[in-house]
Amino acid sequence: MWDGIIVGGGLAGLLAGIRAAERGKRILMISEGVGSLTYSSGVIDFGNVAQLVRQDKHPYALLGESIVRNGADYFQAHFPDYHGKWREVQTVLTPLGSPRKAGFIPNGLNAQVLHDAHLIVLMAPEGMKDFFPKVTKANLERAYPQCVVKVHPFRLDAFESWHTLGKPVNGMDYTKYWRSASGTGALKGVVNSLNQELDEARSDPADPGKSVVVFPGLASAFSNSIKEVLSDLPFPVVEMTAFPPSASGHKLYDALKETFGALGGELMVGTGVKQVEIQGKRCHKIIVKSKGKDSEFSARSFVLATGGVFGGGIEVTPEASKEMVFGLPLYVPDEWTNSEFLGDQPYARIGIEVDRELRPIDSKLNEVILENVQVIGRMIAHWDPWVEHCGGGVSLASGWFAGETM
Amino acid sequence: MTDYQVVIVGGGATGVGILRDLSMRGISALLLEQGDLAHGTSSRFHGLLHSGARYAVKDPVSAAECIDENVILKQIAAHCISDTGGWFVQSSEDAQSYVEQWIRGCAYAHIPIREISLADAYLKEPLMSKDVLRVFEVPDATVDGFKLVWANAKSAKRYGGDYKTYHQVERLILDNKRIVGVAAKNLVNGEEIMVHCEVVVNAGGAWASQIVGTIGVPLDVICDKGTLLAFNQRLFQRVINRLHPPSDGDIFVPHETITILGTTSEIVDSPQENQPREPEVKRLLAMGEKLLPNLMGHRVIRAFAGVRPLHREDSEVPGSVEEGREVSRTFVLIDHEVHDGVEGLISIVGGKFTTYRLMAEKVSDWVAEKLGNTAPCSTAKENLMSEIPQDLRKQALRLLPCVAAEKMLERLGDDAEEVLTKIMDDPRKGQMLCECEMVSVAEVEKVASDEDSHHLADIRRKTRLGMGTCQGAFCTYRVLPLLGLENKKFDPLQDELKRFINQRWKGIRPVLWGQQLRETELTRAIYASILQLNENPG
Repeated sequence: MWDGIIVGGGLAGLLAGIRAAERGKRILMISEGVGSLTYSSGVIDFGNVAQLVRQDKHPYALLGESIVRNGADYFQAHFPDYHGKWREVQTVLTPLGSPRKAGFIPNGLNAQVLHDAHLIVLMAPEGMKDFFPKVTKANLERAYPQCVVKVHPFRLDAFESWHTLGKPVNGMDYTKYWRSASGTGALKGVVNSLNQELDEARSDPADPGKSVVVFPGLASAFSNSIKEVLSDLPFPVVEMTAFPPSASGHKLYDALKETFGALGGELMVGTGVKQVEIQGKRCHKIIVKSKGKDSEFSARSFVLATGGVFGGGIEVTPEASKEMVFGLPLYVPDEWTNSEFLGDQPYARIGIEVDRELRPIDSKLNEVILENVQVIGRMIAHWDPWVEHCGGGVSLASGWFAGETM
Repeated sequence: MTDYQVVIVGGGATGVGILRDLSMRGISALLLEQGDLAHGTSSRFHGLLHSGARYAVKDPVSAAECIDENVILKQIAAHCISDTGGWFVQSSEDAQSYVEQWIRGCAYAHIPIREISLADAYLKEPLMSKDVLRVFEVPDATVDGFKLVWANAKSAKRYGGDYKTYHQVERLILDNKRIVGVAAKNLVNGEEIMVHCEVVVNAGGAWASQIVGTIGVPLDVICDKGTLLAFNQRLFQRVINRLHPPSDGDIFVPHETITILGTTSEIVDSPQENQPREPEVKRLLAMGEKLLPNLMGHRVIRAFAGVRPLHREDSEVPGSVEEGREVSRTFVLIDHEVHDGVEGLISIVGGKFTTYRLMAEKVSDWVAEKLGNTAPCSTAKENLMSEIPQDLRKQALRLLPCVAAEKMLERLGDDAEEVLTKIMDDPRKGQMLCECEMVSVAEVEKVASDEDSHHLADIRRKTRLGMGTCQGAFCTYRVLPLLGLENKKFDPLQDELKRFINQRWKGIRPVLWGQQLRETELTRAIYASILQLNENPG
């Protein structure tokens, strides 16, 4: 008998697992895939909290601002590589080099320093997939008109054979290489030669100084060796967020898993729930299909963190929408879409309606459906991360709350 | 003094077909198109090259025209056509009496048919419904509308024909009831142009009545909207028609890696009304189920709609030039001198994509006679595209994945050389920018720099960029650096990007379920969150 079983291993599920395990609970996490963090930029967005806590039925409104904040604080306490202050907006660079707002950001991404820069050196790793130096330069020039932007291309012996074959080298490949022993050495070489160039520029009286280096495909968070190389430099380095797949998101996923495991949590990846056993208003047991045979697991409480439509927790067909684990009823908006793709899209608010304890409710009868099940993250109804920009915040708050109370 | 002898209005299949025909006869002609070539009905259909069998019962004239043109186009436009063959399938709900009528109709129109045993049929098309009584093979094929239109335009250009895209006709110019020119506006830079000519051919399709409307000439064109669905795989290997009176949702047409299910029919008020709607989608799926069970379990990547221009069937056909020729009900030539007293103006309305060449021939015959040109039509004899040289093909296969190489050669013909040179100079340009449709960086770069590419959608129509499973989620981003930052040819990049995504969204909205819904979540995550192209109040 487990104290808790968490179905789904993305940001919300893992944070719930970490908190519960830390409280001494025996937690099993069952995850069909590896969550969506690798698709994300690794940045945690909170959105306009003050406004969203007043928005009818929004997860922030159900939980209240103090719990949203607790989730954020808790996350930051465990992952000090994430910087940012509560309700303070930060700036990071998009993969196209435009500044954008963000909540908590991984070490090295803070772009604030660009406001005071006079020279931006844009590092351009040879042939990096989905990184466009010219577009990025143009966007940096537009955003920071006081700056001169210089592109600094470089190529590495390690990828010579890739270039010859025309094989793409994506940001993850570069990040992986920088983290290896030989790659860290190469990184030192790259930044040292840059430093010499900048030194010469600095001795030029026409150059007013204040140089900042913008570096794509570098993820210093959770890597002491890279941080060490960068800390010795006389100029600040601003990392860029990445187009999927993103090393920053991936490293956060790794760090969450590691923390969960270190606290005694058990993680099964690649298995889905086949069936659940319910008695009255309680779930007792889940049956998972694993390695060709079925296995049963019993627990006192359960957390549903299967990631909504994208995570596979909700399946929509032309006839019906279905929650895939417990078969819970879903809030399905009457109007499904709007014409402006990046505007409000009603479909995005599909999900499970929950009470303040995050238990699934029948909203017509106003009754809890399953008393020992909590729903977190993207599975909760009535929010749209792509217009409200609060995806990280909802996951952390609901994940933390479930871990705290299960 | 005239700039051109003829101005053709409309850059669909018929318009470019006329441009090619006239140019080959040595008549100087300019084609004006308000958008990009093939942006309208000529690309918004199922892409079926009819054998004529579909019309064998109801419309024998049309059926006979289709089979003749089918044979011609397979010869002259082989690179745009995939000779998949087609089947007519009788389900248990379809009347035997109709089958007999159909067999007689095919014989009358000289359409070769062959019955296939059910055992053989299921071996070849295992997904086909088990509720099938008889299967007949016909010479249907599939045709790529974009490619065919571009191939006609390029061929016409070789013969001296000109075309201008993004030029909207503002009015026809008359001198004493005689056409003397056309006033048009360049929609890209707002410039007004005036072209003098002796004859105007109105090949505006669903827009035809608007064009002659500029001089108060009435033309009764019915806008018939047809909605279609694109599935993300080849559900069938050949065209599958249901053997019953033509209806909604009874044709499956495989193209490249996808299948199109068509079509609905609904009269609308204007050609702009081409937004596919959910009820139409549901009707198509319900009908399609009869030929392919569990159709809803297959992934639909988008819905799209075209507006067919139909001429009112009961109307007289005044001014049919060839005396005695019974102009088929499927298309009509209208000489506005006979009908409205305006000399030098002809409209071509109705017809099908399969018979575009024939329509062009008939129009060109009329124009040639008017201008006293006696050169005969030669469009049926000369291939649209010259043979790809063996060494060019070999080189393409060396530098690109086989499928990508063949597709590129089919699209570009001789122009492929430019793309291959780019890849040789920089092997990274051989990478697939659009991974769904296998379009290389070098090809997109080449097409983006073409002088007639003004929008991302133009690049899409020429390359198929963004038309695959991801519907632009990844390639829209990747095309940005190729859009010519320096010469500012394209709109501000982020506007261009939003516009393109919204266009793609139009076709996804009515099929937003299953995997396509998941894909949409990812696309919104990329553009709203990672790139933050919308407002973040946070």
